[in-house]
Amino acid sequence: MNMMTADSVRPARTPTDQRRLAGARRPVRARVPGAGALLGAGGAAASLLIWEIVPRSGVVSPKYLPPASEVLAAFVERLALQSFWTAVGDTLITWALGLAIAFAAAVVLGFLVGSVPLLRTFTSSTVEFLRPIPSVALIPLAVLIYGTGMQATLLLVVYAAFWQIYIQVLYGVVDVDPVAEQTARSYGLGRWSRARHVTWPSALPYLITGVRLGAAVALILTITGQLTIGSPGLGQSIDVARSSGAVASVYALILATGILGVTVNVGVRAVERRVLRWHTSVRGENTA
Amino acid sequence: MLEVTGLQKIYRDREREVEAVRDLTFQLTEGELACLVGPSGCGKTTLLKCIAGLMEPTSGTVELAGRSVTGPPPDMAVVFQEYGRSLFPWLTVQGNIELPLKEKKLPKKRRGELVAESLEAVGLSGSARAYPWQLSGGMQQRVAIARAIAYEPRVLLMDEPFAAVDAQTRADLEDLIRDLWNRFDMTVLFVTHDIDEAVYLGQRVLVLSSSPTVVQDDVSINLPSVRDQLTTRSDARFTELRTRIYSEIQNAKHTSAAAK
Repeated sequence: MNMMTADSVRPARTPTDQRRLAGARRPVRARVPGAGALLGAGGAAASLLIWEIVPRSGVVSPKYLPPASEVLAAFVERLALQSFWTAVGDTLITWALGLAIAFAAAVVLGFLVGSVPLLRTFTSSTVEFLRPIPSVALIPLAVLIYGTGMQATLLLVVYAAFWQIYIQVLYGVVDVDPVAEQTARSYGLGRWSRARHVTWPSALPYLITGVRLGAAVALILTITGQLTIGSPGLGQSIDVARSSGAVASVYALILATGILGVTVNVGVRAVERRVLRWHTSVRGENTA
Repeated sequence: MLEVTGLQKIYRDREREVEAVRDLTFQLTEGELACLVGPSGCGKTTLLKCIAGLMEPTSGTVELAGRSVTGPPPDMAVVFQEYGRSLFPWLTVQGNIELPLKEKKLPKKRRGELVAESLEAVGLSGSARAYPWQLSGGMQQRVAIARAIAYEPRVLLMDEPFAAVDAQTRADLEDLIRDLWNRFDMTVLFVTHDIDEAVYLGQRVLVLSSSPTVVQDDVSINLPSVRDQLTTRSDARFTELRTRIYSEIQNAKHTSAAAK
């Protein structure tokens, strides 16, 4: 879970609940840029060393926690297997498809509901009720409707990611600078033009924040669904490895999901830097 | 050209009513450069928004070239005080100037000409590809002015456009406005709280009272049409005019205080 909260919740302008979360978990920055990377690498090496020593010294039984070297060996072994890459592919497809569906639905609905105050008030109580429902509570329902195929997991992913993006869009659509809006109107921009040239770019920082949160949540739910429902993917592989007693493989697969999570986060960050290069969160305040 | 008749604006919310503008009537003739000056909080911005068609007056009418203003008129451009918020940060300088022209459905070639011409007129020919936030405050306001010029308006409204720039930039921008007004064929209504600025720029200065606002005085500025920051400002007539308007405004404050 940490992967999604620690550094991903740092948008320039977001609702206060998220800002609070960010404040509580903001990572401490090293003063010298190079020193930060070095410290980080050192920290990782130290963790691996402890992981190696703890099972070997017998503090924890190697049966439950194999030493790091064994897990890494199992991981490298997996990399050569066709079945591993199929599982990675299935996981990525479920994740991407779920995120895409959630994105499309959230943008369309968010813009629609966000720009009609009456509709917004009308739907807010329902949204506030549905949003906190943990996606995993829908597992029985998903299985009932779709069996154990990918669609069942997809349902969970879409549900969880949708709210993350939808709420952001809802806030973003109303946070249009009145001066920008009046400028657009005074230059004769119609409703549609204003939506496209003013509201959309104004909401973009929110939308990207939503996508960043949604992408992380989508991955969590992808793995969860595969693990508990048994849809094909890395989650299912973990469960298979567990039931066959291949403990080192279980850890190796967990490692793979972690790497996937980091990759997803780095990817979304790169998109953000590109799309929002004009925004203060990316360009900084120190301009002429 | 521009006729404001009996304009009144009352802001209402649940608890109270605020009469920002009581009864404003004035006319601008074609090609005139008029300044509106008044004490702070006298409803200058309210008036301007009503003229720009961005706000509906409670009563009274605004007519532009004989047609009643109910929404933003197609031949009017507005320059706002807050250039940083009025320019779109996601568009380059060129993109900002071009957006209204695209909306007017002008062909690409014509848009290019207008962008180049307007940027040249404000002295920013090299900055078309820059983003507004990469420029200084004074330059940003020049971009906003270029956007207005490129729109080819018959009437240019300016809402305290230089209130947020430093004194030297301000003097340059004042001269720029005189220059643009001479060069392009347009009527300019310039709103300011700065009496010196109003006298220096205008052919005519409309003095507003404190809120609830009426036109207190209409002063014709009989200074030579070629103005210069040094000689014009040291002219005896300049001093005389600014003294007169200053006392008008002081007067306005006191009368309204007495009325309360």
